[in-house]
Amino acid sequence: MAAQLPDSTTLLAPGSAPLPSLLSARRLKNQKLARTLRLWVPGSIIIALAFICFVWPHIYSIPPGNTGSILAAQEPPFSPGHWLGTDPDGVDIFSMLVYGGQVSFEVGFAVTGVGIVIGGLIGLSAGYFGGWVDTLLSRVIDVLIAFPALVLALAVAEVLQPSETHLIWALSVFSVPAFARVTRAGTLVVRELPFITAARLSGTRSWRIITRHVLPNVIPGIVTFSLLGIGVVVILEGALDFLGLGIQPPQPSWGAMIAKGQGVLTAQPELVLIPSIVLLIFVMSLNLVGDALRERWGVR
Amino acid sequence: MSNALLEVEDLRVAFAAGGREVRAVNGVSYTIEPGKTLAIIGESGSGKTVGCRAIMGLLPDNTAVSGSARLRGSELIGLSDAALRRHRGQDMAMVFQDPARSLNPTMKVGAQITEALRAHRKVDRKQARAQAVELLRLVRIPAPERRFSEYPHQLSGGMRQRVMIAIALACRPKLLIADEATTALDVTTQAQIMELLLELQAELDMALILISHDLGLAASYADEVVVMYAGKVVEQAQAKRLFGTGGTVRMRYTRALLDAIPHLERAAHTELPVVTGRPPDPTAIPSGCSFAPRCRSAADDCLAKEPALAEHAPGHSWACWHPCDTNGGAA
Repeated sequence: MAAQLPDSTTLLAPGSAPLPSLLSARRLKNQKLARTLRLWVPGSIIIALAFICFVWPHIYSIPPGNTGSILAAQEPPFSPGHWLGTDPDGVDIFSMLVYGGQVSFEVGFAVTGVGIVIGGLIGLSAGYFGGWVDTLLSRVIDVLIAFPALVLALAVAEVLQPSETHLIWALSVFSVPAFARVTRAGTLVVRELPFITAARLSGTRSWRIITRHVLPNVIPGIVTFSLLGIGVVVILEGALDFLGLGIQPPQPSWGAMIAKGQGVLTAQPELVLIPSIVLLIFVMSLNLVGDALRERWGVR
Repeated sequence: MSNALLEVEDLRVAFAAGGREVRAVNGVSYTIEPGKTLAIIGESGSGKTVGCRAIMGLLPDNTAVSGSARLRGSELIGLSDAALRRHRGQDMAMVFQDPARSLNPTMKVGAQITEALRAHRKVDRKQARAQAVELLRLVRIPAPERRFSEYPHQLSGGMRQRVMIAIALACRPKLLIADEATTALDVTTQAQIMELLLELQAELDMALILISHDLGLAASYADEVVVMYAGKVVEQAQAKRLFGTGGTVRMRYTRALLDAIPHLERAAHTELPVVTGRPPDPTAIPSGCSFAPRCRSAADDCLAKEPALAEHAPGHSWACWHPCDTNGGAA
């Protein structure tokens, strides 16, 4: 190993004390703590929700989420065996939350994943190659963005049988152009940076420039956007379930729970309140994690 | 058959912008011999950078380039991107102004050097690494093995520019274009980078094109100087003919630039002569001499007819109807 550069501390004259700090240690510590909490509080809420939805049912036996005994209908929260109570059909509310949450997670992440992969590819090629490729792809994106979401979901529910897979594809029609736009915008910025020219100058091939130089520099923007995107998808999915165009009963979903609870709003308001609050917490956590990451990575 | 490394002849570049033609370069010719240093001097927008980018094939598709640039006899203008790729890095390389943004922030320094190496040479990972460390050592970076696995943000501006030079030199090009390579650095670092470039030039026997607006830089380091204004060459000569003892500048624009450099010997509180006005609009270059609107010695014939660049004295060309006299004063 060649000579190490001298450490800054060794450059101080011997015997001299380090410079006194102008800021109090407590203030710096608090700032650090706040920064950590801003990411990890909402982050752990999402992790906890995912754990409850996907791992919990395998560890503890919970009642089925689609059927129940009419004998145990409309039980209030904290009843024995049903700690969040049951709905008018005697289905356990906690179980519905868990199984419905699985759908929300799956649809949210799948739709965003499809958006990132397909939309990202479109945006990257449009942004990097420019010219007629960009013009063509951008027009296609514009058309997709102008398309009304509910009409398409309705058509899908009509033509194909409504199912989770079809729901994912129908919602992807909206996530793909959104991610394509974000990726294209990011690519346009990165493409003009001198290091891309430098890479071209050293004779690097286009695909290598895209994968090694452009992509890693647009990914932070895509990731933060995707967290906000998952929130939007979860809400859209809930809305479609609520309208009966998404997940079909008796398969539970948060949106369907709210729709069902609407009928017994005065008698049993918790049936609407519980899934609404969970939905709110989930989407808010996603947005907060997105914001915290954006702050850390310095993307706009 | 000349032994020139790069021969540029009547290079013209035009962009389309908002339905108007922007004429960035209007017929530029120069040659550079192996191992020599050529300085291209001009203010912002004079076409010095665009001209070199045209040679490298780095301009966007909506640009029209005409003329010829032959690298060791083979034509570069009009080559496809794939064909140019063989020349880039291998025969000619370029270093830019902004070292902060010329390196990919998400890639380690070493990977960016090996990438340049492996674009042209079939070397395995281990050899590439060894060569990259060797290159870092060549550009005088201390602790090259350690720097190899660091990210650009861990390096200082001067250090990053050294890395850029290492990348440019990866395949030992015969021609290096330094596009304002020292402008963004502080003065001491600037001098170090220039010294490094000259040392490497001698070591590797390559030709160097310095693009700059700094006449001092040209005077101290270049063999040959080309002064550009509004996309044209207005004066061209050996550096020592222009700036050396007994030498003199003849073109009024170059003179004005020289006069605008502050000197300590000047009497205190004297007004610094500046070049007033701004360069002509490249979408509407006036008839006559393009410098005439800003020239203090402009006469009617300057506005009427454009002076051509011609070799008025052996080895010294200029484009001016009323050149400065040989004493450097006003004619």
